[in-house]
Amino acid sequence: MPRKAKSSARKSAAAPKAAAPIDIDAACKLAATLLSAARLPVIAGMGADVAGARAAIRLARATHGVYDHLASAEIMAELEPLRRARRFATTPDEARVRADCLLFVGAGLVQRWPEIGARLAVGAPPALQRGRARKIVWLGGDRADVKGLGAEVDALAAARRDMGPLIGMIRARAMGRPIKAEKSALRRIDSLAETFKAAHFGVAISSAAALDPLALEQLAGLVEDLNATTRFSSLLLGPRANGAGVTQAGAWVAGFPPRTGFCSGEAEHDPWRFDARRLIESGEADAALWIDAYGDEPPPWTRKVPLVTLTCGDFGGGLVHVRAGRPGVDHDCVEMAIETGVLTPRAASAPSAAPRVDAIIERIMAHLPGSCA
Amino acid sequence: MIVRISGGHVVDPLSGRNETGDVWIEDGKIVAPPQGQSADAEYDARNCLVMAGAIDIHSHIAGANVATARLMLPEAHAAYMARPAQTQLAAAGWTAEETGRRYARMGFTTVVEPAVSPHLALHAHLELSDIPIIDKAVLAVLGNDDYLLSALRKGEGATAVADYVALTLQATRALGVKCINAGGAMAFKENVRAFSLDDVVPQYGLTSRQIMEALQDAAVKLKLAHPLHLHMNNLGLPGNVETAIATIDAARGLPLHLAHLQFYAYGKEGGRAFSSAAAQLAEKVNASPHVTVDIGQVMFSDTVTISLDVLRQFTGLKTARPRKGFIYDGDINSAGVVPYSYKRSDFFNAVQWACGLELFLLIDDPWRVFFTTDHPNGAPFTVYPEIFALLTSRDRRAEWLASLPKGVAETTTLGSIRREYTFEELAIMTRAAPAKLLGMRDRGSLAAGATADVAVYGLHKDRAKMFAAARYLFKDGALVVRNGEIVHAPYGRTFRATPGFDRAIERRLDRYYTSLYGLKRDLFSVPDFALPRPQAFGEVPCLA
Repeated sequence: MPRKAKSSARKSAAAPKAAAPIDIDAACKLAATLLSAARLPVIAGMGADVAGARAAIRLARATHGVYDHLASAEIMAELEPLRRARRFATTPDEARVRADCLLFVGAGLVQRWPEIGARLAVGAPPALQRGRARKIVWLGGDRADVKGLGAEVDALAAARRDMGPLIGMIRARAMGRPIKAEKSALRRIDSLAETFKAAHFGVAISSAAALDPLALEQLAGLVEDLNATTRFSSLLLGPRANGAGVTQAGAWVAGFPPRTGFCSGEAEHDPWRFDARRLIESGEADAALWIDAYGDEPPPWTRKVPLVTLTCGDFGGGLVHVRAGRPGVDHDCVEMAIETGVLTPRAASAPSAAPRVDAIIERIMAHLPGSCA
Repeated sequence: MIVRISGGHVVDPLSGRNETGDVWIEDGKIVAPPQGQSADAEYDARNCLVMAGAIDIHSHIAGANVATARLMLPEAHAAYMARPAQTQLAAAGWTAEETGRRYARMGFTTVVEPAVSPHLALHAHLELSDIPIIDKAVLAVLGNDDYLLSALRKGEGATAVADYVALTLQATRALGVKCINAGGAMAFKENVRAFSLDDVVPQYGLTSRQIMEALQDAAVKLKLAHPLHLHMNNLGLPGNVETAIATIDAARGLPLHLAHLQFYAYGKEGGRAFSSAAAQLAEKVNASPHVTVDIGQVMFSDTVTISLDVLRQFTGLKTARPRKGFIYDGDINSAGVVPYSYKRSDFFNAVQWACGLELFLLIDDPWRVFFTTDHPNGAPFTVYPEIFALLTSRDRRAEWLASLPKGVAETTTLGSIRREYTFEELAIMTRAAPAKLLGMRDRGSLAAGATADVAVYGLHKDRAKMFAAARYLFKDGALVVRNGEIVHAPYGRTFRATPGFDRAIERRLDRYYTSLYGLKRDLFSVPDFALPRPQAFGEVPCLA
């Protein structure tokens, strides 16, 4: 059965020419044929708003496929401290109005969120901490970002690979444990640990893109430890392409974040098994729908499979491409907004007729065998 | 279409029916037996109990914290890597879709998500939109927000507070207002680790009592059908019965709903300084007609606690089972998500279990005591049938009590209580009274004109089996469950209250957001365009 299904998927996939423009309904029909004929289809990329994510997960379920997000590695790294230990989190609003200590950790944070300095009002004292000044520390930041933040920063340069050990050493000293370090380094680390312990309400700001997973866990541990005597929390900037919003939608639609499969009919989550790239490179998956309505990022695999692409650009690497509207630009949407840290309504900034991801997927689903639509 | 449910034991406290007879449905409503017309469809309810659809007034079924719990505990689902085949939380479904289906299976037709922080309202509504079959409502949580506390500090009057509450209800599309450990989350942000009724929130100079009173007054002033829904201070602490009694007195005779009372029924007696004070608390509730309560029954299971009482959740990290947790310092409220396992062999858990049942059985008036486990905090909602069985059988309770650790029986009065709930009392507690408490006048009854939410259960001497799977469930007149299986899964509505207010508060709050947060307030709104089913809202009228 699998072989037969596989060959029929290949056969139908070979029919159209990649570049031939076809109308959207024909494209959706062809996409439905490819996905339903596959032995194991993956719905990957998933750069979509909440409505698009809900639809994509339903499509994965309807086709007994898998859903994965283009930034799943970061999603998994952010989830790891939550799944294995403890995590303290706060919002950009609280970081802005309450934090008397802002601890930036890692490089690339400004690139991820160019307005970060203004949004967190880094140059001003925290509005809800009467009379308390704001201290800013940056560990392992890009020099230009640190300089351009618009506030006085106590910066400590460190390479990405050294971040985990560095945070670990600060954590050890904050808890009064000995570490092996040169005198001057020990003084510096002790001084940082004291700064964090002296904060009334500190916020550590980082992201899974800026730190390796172990460093991110170490940071979660530092924040937790500091709460033994004072208040400290953390703000993670979240993966690109609405990764955090897609994760939330996954939680209520399927019970799980991305890297979840419906092979058995029920949702099963396994970060290794349902990694879209691994599934395709290994040949386990034999068709893919790639979604990136926020950009035009290509799929990360090299192996050729029947591929339907749904991006806001003109990506042409697949058999069928539908150009989708960009959430919040071409159409209204809900997404995890970086400036609020919650699922946020976003009105279209330049409304257009470009179709929404959820609308395209609904049309694909209407063409699936057995659909009542 | 006319539907006849025939020959069942009909129990409907609001219309006074407790008899064998028929229930008729036409166009989604209960109707009087039509003269000279026959039914288009007939359902045999002989040897069945027929009641209105059940209503759960306090169950954490949606929103950001529920999502966090799911993401924190992948191993609690039925399917995650090396895993037990079946877990307690897996039995609760754990997706929006399964939540609706499993509630319906038990004959429930309306469920209230009681803890929605205003800035997370859109998240909650998105998730509720995806819960099929049942109708829903949310309570908006205030009392740990800078805007309110600053207004109270400045001495602004009751009208200003009421306007703010009304605007919050509008913005969050909520049915009522809730307050969780008033001021406690704000105090925790100032590194306060214990916070009681008369403790003062640093920087604001306000006590928990003052904040609670202000919100209670606002609910009265706005004529909200649902009174202030209060999660008191000191949840879970030995000796906290004193807090509960002081809080009932603090209500000043005004309507007040106390959530999950079981978690406040603890004394400090005995060798372990932990005992049941449920009898004392029940007596206080019996003597306080202005107060309604829900229980928050504990059952022995692996579960997860989801609460905006961040202070309590922070303390709870120490006893988490398994040892994980999430602590959230939010804009308007904070929260904590901490897994926990209630064990039959654990003295403290066993006392908690007994406390809940004592309260159910010792509070005399079934119109003022409501059936909850504070899902999933005391236990997942799927254990309800077993609790119905315990309430209706003293023999069953005795069996359970005998299996508990030594010393538990001595610390509670449970073994001496002979009361067994009747079907009529169950119908009041789970149907008629919740409809009244929520102001949902169209339901909770089988009287002509009521919404045709009807649950039919096959009579069985094992009440747990009987209430686990409805023989039939009708939602808005449509058959949705047959023999415990979902046969149709339409989407219900979400109910909200819309009290009037002076629109000046909108401009004022807009300015507040712009100046404090540097953001437009509408980023935290719930606009129609954001919802998959924006039309699916209903209104609960304010009191006359």
